[in-house]
Amino acid sequence: MIAEKITYDIFARINRGDNLMHIGTVEAENSELAKVYATFTYDEEDWTEMVVVERNKLNWVKKPDWLFSEKGAEAL
Amino acid sequence: MSVMEQGTHSLIELLETIADNKYVLGDRLVEVGVSGPNLEATLSAIAMAQGELGHARLLYNWCFDLKGVKGKKPDIQAQTGKAFQTAVNVQNWISLIASLYAINAAIDIVFQTVLKTSHSKVASRIQKLVREQHDHIIYAENWAKQLLLDQGAVPYRFQEALREAAEEAKAWLAKVEKSEELKKEGYFPETPSFTEKFEKRLQQLNAEQLVQAK
Repeated sequence: MIAEKITYDIFARINRGDNLMHIGTVEAENSELAKVYATFTYDEEDWTEMVVVERNKLNWVKKPDWLFSEKGAEAL
Repeated sequence: MSVMEQGTHSLIELLETIADNKYVLGDRLVEVGVSGPNLEATLSAIAMAQGELGHARLLYNWCFDLKGVKGKKPDIQAQTGKAFQTAVNVQNWISLIASLYAINAAIDIVFQTVLKTSHSKVASRIQKLVREQHDHIIYAENWAKQLLLDQGAVPYRFQEALREAAEEAKAWLAKVEKSEELKKEGYFPETPSFTEKFEKRLQQLNAEQLVQAK
């Protein structure tokens, strides 16, 4: 396939007022497909809200050094 | 046969054709979709198969109601023979995506028109289906775009599969939009323009690909 896959993090809330939880990830070619994949893959709850966020677009405020990062392991 | 009965008969035929196609697509999504190109696409195909089979069941049960079947609805063992040949013949990922896109896009055009009419009872039966089907169309459309931009023989083979599936769907739409009974019953306006809307949708898909490919 020509299109590169992008990692999307998925956040969801079961009921209104609940905490927004990180429930998993999907890899997709674009955000439209990411939304569809998230809907079909994480259908164990009747979520009130669900959002997919491109991992590269996350604005980190604090980020620890990951375990084994010195050995070249990539966390993200 | 009275006009009312003719209208009901035409509606049953329309619903059974849609139900049959969804029944076959559900089956093909499991058979072929299980060996999809990646994990996400495969999981979604299986989930969508359940959705398509659920839609088929809903439409068959609606037909039983229209036919006056009382009590427990009969089990559905097979389609009634109105499914498109291109859907029945789906054997690989390329033809699966082509059929999924063409059929669901055609059904969406018909149902969107019905939703705009004043048949509240009909609207309440299909509203959820149309909403769920929207995800199926996005999935098929995005995969169609990817296949059109793929390498080697894939784009050509996909275009051929899409052309075949679209021709069959368009022929069905042309037949449906001529149905005087359904117009008389108020399910469609006088000029529903199904084929025109369908062509525009297909052109849009191809045009987007040409822009991206440049």
